[in-house]
Amino acid sequence: MVTKTEESELKNLEIQVDNGGGGAWEYLSLVRKLKVRRSDKVLKHGLSILNDSKLRSKLGADEWTLYEQVAVAAMDCQCLDVAQDCTKALRKRFSESKRVGRLKAMLLEAKGSWEKAEKAYSSLLEDNPLDQIIHKRRVAMAKAQGNISGAIEWLNKYLEIFMADHDAWRELAEIYSSLQMYKQAAFCYEEVILAQPTVPLYHLAYADVLYTLGGLENVQTAKKYYASTIDLTGGKNTRALFGICLCTSAIAQLAKGKNKEDKEGSQLQSLAAKALERDYKQRAPDKLPQLTTALKSLTLSS
Amino acid sequence: MAEDLVLDTAIRDWVLIPLSVVMVLIGVLRHIVSKLLRSSQTPDIKIVREGQVMLRARNLRAAANFIPSKAFRARKLYYCNEENGLLFVPKGQATNPQAQMFSDPNMAMDMMKKNLSMIIPQTLTFAWVNFFFSGFVAAKIPFPLTQRFRSMLQNGIDLSTVDVSYVSSRSWYFLNLFGLRGLFSLILGEENAVDDTQRMMQMGGGFGFDPSKGLSVEKDNLDITQHDWALPNFEHHAEDVLKRVIS
Repeated sequence: MVTKTEESELKNLEIQVDNGGGGAWEYLSLVRKLKVRRSDKVLKHGLSILNDSKLRSKLGADEWTLYEQVAVAAMDCQCLDVAQDCTKALRKRFSESKRVGRLKAMLLEAKGSWEKAEKAYSSLLEDNPLDQIIHKRRVAMAKAQGNISGAIEWLNKYLEIFMADHDAWRELAEIYSSLQMYKQAAFCYEEVILAQPTVPLYHLAYADVLYTLGGLENVQTAKKYYASTIDLTGGKNTRALFGICLCTSAIAQLAKGKNKEDKEGSQLQSLAAKALERDYKQRAPDKLPQLTTALKSLTLSS
Repeated sequence: MAEDLVLDTAIRDWVLIPLSVVMVLIGVLRHIVSKLLRSSQTPDIKIVREGQVMLRARNLRAAANFIPSKAFRARKLYYCNEENGLLFVPKGQATNPQAQMFSDPNMAMDMMKKNLSMIIPQTLTFAWVNFFFSGFVAAKIPFPLTQRFRSMLQNGIDLSTVDVSYVSSRSWYFLNLFGLRGLFSLILGEENAVDDTQRMMQMGGGFGFDPSKGLSVEKDNLDITQHDWALPNFEHHAEDVLKRVIS
């Protein structure tokens, strides 16, 4: 995850470069370092550097890194001729390079020739079975073709080797959620939380999945995770506030016959309701009556 | 015993500074040569996998209190299961990493190259120092030392009455050897080939990357870990946070 300072630095550089100030190369290096996806800007500014032969020669050896970065950005923006030119330039310079081979295969994938790309990726992986990027591209290709079960299979195989890659776990969790395989999604979200326990996004997603699974225990756990999201975001996350209200009413419904402790729950729910009302008053005052009726129905049904 | 010897400034100009400069230059040269000679290491898939397993187990231990206890227990079992747990390495199979490293020709060559690149410049420089810069007092150490250090620090000086604080250039060489490490990490970046002391420590304490032992260590650590679910506390915190937001 990108830190706040890095994000603000990136934004500043972006504004600066967009408005004609210098610093394009620093912006591109920062994008490369943080691995963020800003393909249109990278393409625009990268091409402006590459087309200007003076700036290009100033880069020296970094010129080829820039070629690679612009090629990938061009493929992302579907400017395939630009990507092909960059790949050709790289191929002329480094003819026997694995990285260039990878770019060629990615170009095939971008064009849509799936079988050829698949063959290219498999042969690249035979030479170098530990290239994470190629594994991930295979998963992405399966996903793009709509072959979700194939994507799951490839991703599982990838995770068998690289099981500490939390981004991959997150991707798997989202795929499972989209397929409504919530138990597996919960497992994957647990892995992600283990890797990065203080990111509220994952707590929220895990709570969503648990709430969707249903059942008294799951909903109680979900409520706890919504509470932790509120704690981690300082009460600003609207979805978590709604989650608390829904969970409390669901627990009350499910536990009607069991007569469990409900005094601590109601305080959290009333607090969350008040926070929601305040939030709506500030940001969307015309929706406030809808909110109050919805909340009232929740408390009534509990 | 406590006389103050006045050392000629020429010593400083012609001994201390050139010696340091030469050591820095030799270090840089070694770094460049090692970069040129370095063969690309293709890591074995098994080793990568084991490294990742250890990372995952360590994450589990670190953040165990953030997931529900059922999930934690299920994972603990998955890792530490006696028959097919992830971290379990049967006794016979525990590959002795030393033997493995020597049997793999690439790695053996690599290690030999690294060792040579460390030993040869050190030996040569030491011999050079001894040949050219021996037989006189080179510097004075600012703090007093006991007589024990005499043989170590005053090697070329054959006077037994000189204070032990006055040392020969050999000790300046050793001082530089250990002290320039910081300078090299500034000039050459973190991973430089001149980090002898680091490698010496590594070799002294057993081989650095130790897959089989690492796994059983992780397994023991995981066995001990207790699960203390932190989420209920979060609920109370959330209440406080909301109270503050509303007020």
